Amino acid sequence: MAKEMVNLSFLTEKEKEEILSVLFRDEELRKVEEKRIRRLKNELLEIRRKGAKRGSQDYSDKTCARCQETLGRIMKSGNACRQCNHLVCKACRVLEEGGRWKCTVCVKEGKLKKKTGDWFFECRASRYANDFGSDIIRASLKRKHEVPYTVLMLFNTNWCTIMGSDCTEGFRKECAFSFPERLALLGREGAGVLNQNYPTSTIVLDFQKVFDKECATCQEDNKTVYLNVSNSFCPTQDVRSNSRVTVDEGGSENLFKKNAKSILKPTDYSKSVLDLRSGDSGVDGRSMGDRSRSVPGLNVEQVSDEEEEEDIDQLVTIHRLANARQSLKSAGSASTIGSMMSIYSEAGDYGNVAVTGEIVFTMNYDQNKQMLNVYVKECHNLAYGDESKKRSNPYVKTYLLPDRSRQGKRKTIIKRNTTDPIYNENLKYDISESQLIMRTLQLSVWHHDRFGRNVFLGEVDLSLDIWNFNSQLEECLPLHARSITELKCHSKECCKATQSVKEGGELQVWIKEAKNLTPMKVGGTSDTFVKGYLLPFKTKTSKRKTPVMKKTLNPHYNHTFVYSEVKPEDLQHICLELTIWDREALSSNDFLGGVRLGIGNGMSNGKRVDWMDSVGEEVNIWQRMTQYPGSWVEGTLLLRPKMGERN
Amino acid sequence: MTDGDYDYLIKLLALGDSGVGKTTFLYRYTDNKFNPKFITTVGIDFREKRLVYPVRGSNNTTGKNIKVHLQLWDTAGQERFRSLTTAFFRDAMGFLLIFDLTSQQSFLNVRNWMSQLQANAYCENPDIVLIGNKADLGDQREVQEKEARELADKYGIPYFETSAATGSEIDSSVVALLDLIMKRMDQCVDKSQIPDSVNGGASKKLEDETPDENKCAC
Repeated sequence: MAKEMVNLSFLTEKEKEEILSVLFRDEELRKVEEKRIRRLKNELLEIRRKGAKRGSQDYSDKTCARCQETLGRIMKSGNACRQCNHLVCKACRVLEEGGRWKCTVCVKEGKLKKKTGDWFFECRASRYANDFGSDIIRASLKRKHEVPYTVLMLFNTNWCTIMGSDCTEGFRKECAFSFPERLALLGREGAGVLNQNYPTSTIVLDFQKVFDKECATCQEDNKTVYLNVSNSFCPTQDVRSNSRVTVDEGGSENLFKKNAKSILKPTDYSKSVLDLRSGDSGVDGRSMGDRSRSVPGLNVEQVSDEEEEEDIDQLVTIHRLANARQSLKSAGSASTIGSMMSIYSEAGDYGNVAVTGEIVFTMNYDQNKQMLNVYVKECHNLAYGDESKKRSNPYVKTYLLPDRSRQGKRKTIIKRNTTDPIYNENLKYDISESQLIMRTLQLSVWHHDRFGRNVFLGEVDLSLDIWNFNSQLEECLPLHARSITELKCHSKECCKATQSVKEGGELQVWIKEAKNLTPMKVGGTSDTFVKGYLLPFKTKTSKRKTPVMKKTLNPHYNHTFVYSEVKPEDLQHICLELTIWDREALSSNDFLGGVRLGIGNGMSNGKRVDWMDSVGEEVNIWQRMTQYPGSWVEGTLLLRPKMGERN
Repeated sequence: MTDGDYDYLIKLLALGDSGVGKTTFLYRYTDNKFNPKFITTVGIDFREKRLVYPVRGSNNTTGKNIKVHLQLWDTAGQERFRSLTTAFFRDAMGFLLIFDLTSQQSFLNVRNWMSQLQANAYCENPDIVLIGNKADLGDQREVQEKEARELADKYGIPYFETSAATGSEIDSSVVALLDLIMKRMDQCVDKSQIPDSVNGGASKKLEDETPDENKCAC
């Protein structure tokens, strides 16, 4: 995730240590607070569920909205609560100062809002993303804390890669390189990570495990090596504002005649890297021209295809693929790359492999380094990814859901032709503990196909809030197929919608707000909107959109979707699909989550359909709405991290 | 100390020029002790304190007591730490803006600190109390109460003259800030639910009851 950074290079080592110890104390306090809040939030959800009628007073039944007691016309007539406007009987009121009152549910909600500090975070959300000041400082300190930056370079005929010094042990492979003169300026030592699974002539670097920020790409094009530092990835304010460092989109477009690839993630930026770029955008090709010619049979296009295919294995349509390449070419931002792998389109990309086997791994959390280590040991008895050849080239991929951005992806290397691969690889995540407990670790196994699409071999999802990190025991869990009933998303994301069916057969959906959405853009924000479809009609006529709420993870939409000519009896057969998207101006939007509201019985008009898959609160709201025609039903829903099958 | 057995976690932050006594102020408040030695704060620190906040009714009838856990952030006043300290502004619910009554310069800088707050706090007009510290050093006083009070009035914030050495007015200044925060909390909660367009009457009534004091729009 893109985080705000502060330049703290002026601090001495001792000062840094002192500050880190303060931040550590703060983290301890926050952990206690998080626990307390979670307890309270559960209470709040319970209350919301109970308060069936909310938001409006014009429902037909003359009953108290809280205790459902019948209200008389003159005696026991009931009055409207000044907060929620519901008619409430005397018994369900709480008196406040000055003779004013509110209904019991509103009072309780208000109390909880104060106790959880939500009143504060709601105000704060209009200015700042989720990040705590201490998290930003910790992250900023960390970057400067690392070993003095040595630029490690791997240079081969096609790709030149630059990286930071923080290599994962076991992936590091010392190699000697003779640098071309100018490029040598960059590096004091030559080292790189080789992915041995590629033919030696096309050394492809996989730095996903090594770096947390994408930064530099380099490519030979017509005997000239261009080094590009893509500006969108520069995380620190000072780097971004330094025009010598950043490359404007247009400029990089020119540099990239072919697909940019091997986007790397160095831990820090070396001045020398940047100087090279700004001082001389093109390194003279002659100095290494010989080298490039010395390796025969290089097929650049093929390599890049493969790499891309691999990265965007969830991509469904060719159109999207084209778009994605476009955005890559222009050295796109982190979010555009994230968008290539829209979760939404994950549906249907799972092959027909009958999932078998299990995965063996251990997991621990290093509190000092704020790091999650997922040690992937091996898999047993995997299915064949390529049934005809009885082959599997499996690798393991992980995400900390709901973050499915490229930055959140970790992969093991690919093991060739085996159904019992042994990896012994450590996949690391830089994440604070308070964030961690809201995530779900997804370990999925894929068959790598050089020429076709990668094939899904199975997955395991683990909610980290209940994980015992003290246990160092090896876990051996059976892989399962991607289920249509979605895994529960443990982030705090919610989408508030209120809806009602008006008497004339009109379905109104009031999209109020969403909370704690996943940041997709640099600076930790997102520009989001909500899209609605009334399934089974996935057409323009049923499509509704809210305006885009910019730069906030807690958008207030307050927008109403109206669907006319919806008869009450139709409600059994239709399903309201609401999805939240991060808007990307130049490429496809990023999916952030969604809900489906319906009766969830898998049937529509007598036919079996995938999309009628609502569960829990999603069904609850729909039913409440059906029960109280003409009144608003309010609900807060957890977003699904992905939408699964439709059609 | 942090066992989660409290009702509210309130985060306050002390800011002001270097040497005005932010650290000693907080030390006096949390531990009721005074340390006359000047040890410059390295970047950022915080102290904690539990207190019971009585909810006062309209006619001073004491209602329920609230258990409050205070996290009091102490920031370095030195300019070189500025980028670090301002990052913490966003997480504080209220601010103790402290200057030194024996230093005209620290008082003049109050205006700068105010604009820092406007730019970096959680909203444009957060709750602040202005505090003139070192009130015990009467013979070295450079800032008169009148001018300080005028400035505070201009910003519409309370003003206190405190002494970390004697402990005078320390508690009351913090409580005054807590009062402001509690008030804002009530307003936020009151306003935020259902911005109702259906029933105009009710929402209008709400507006009337909470006079717009330039509070943040939440």
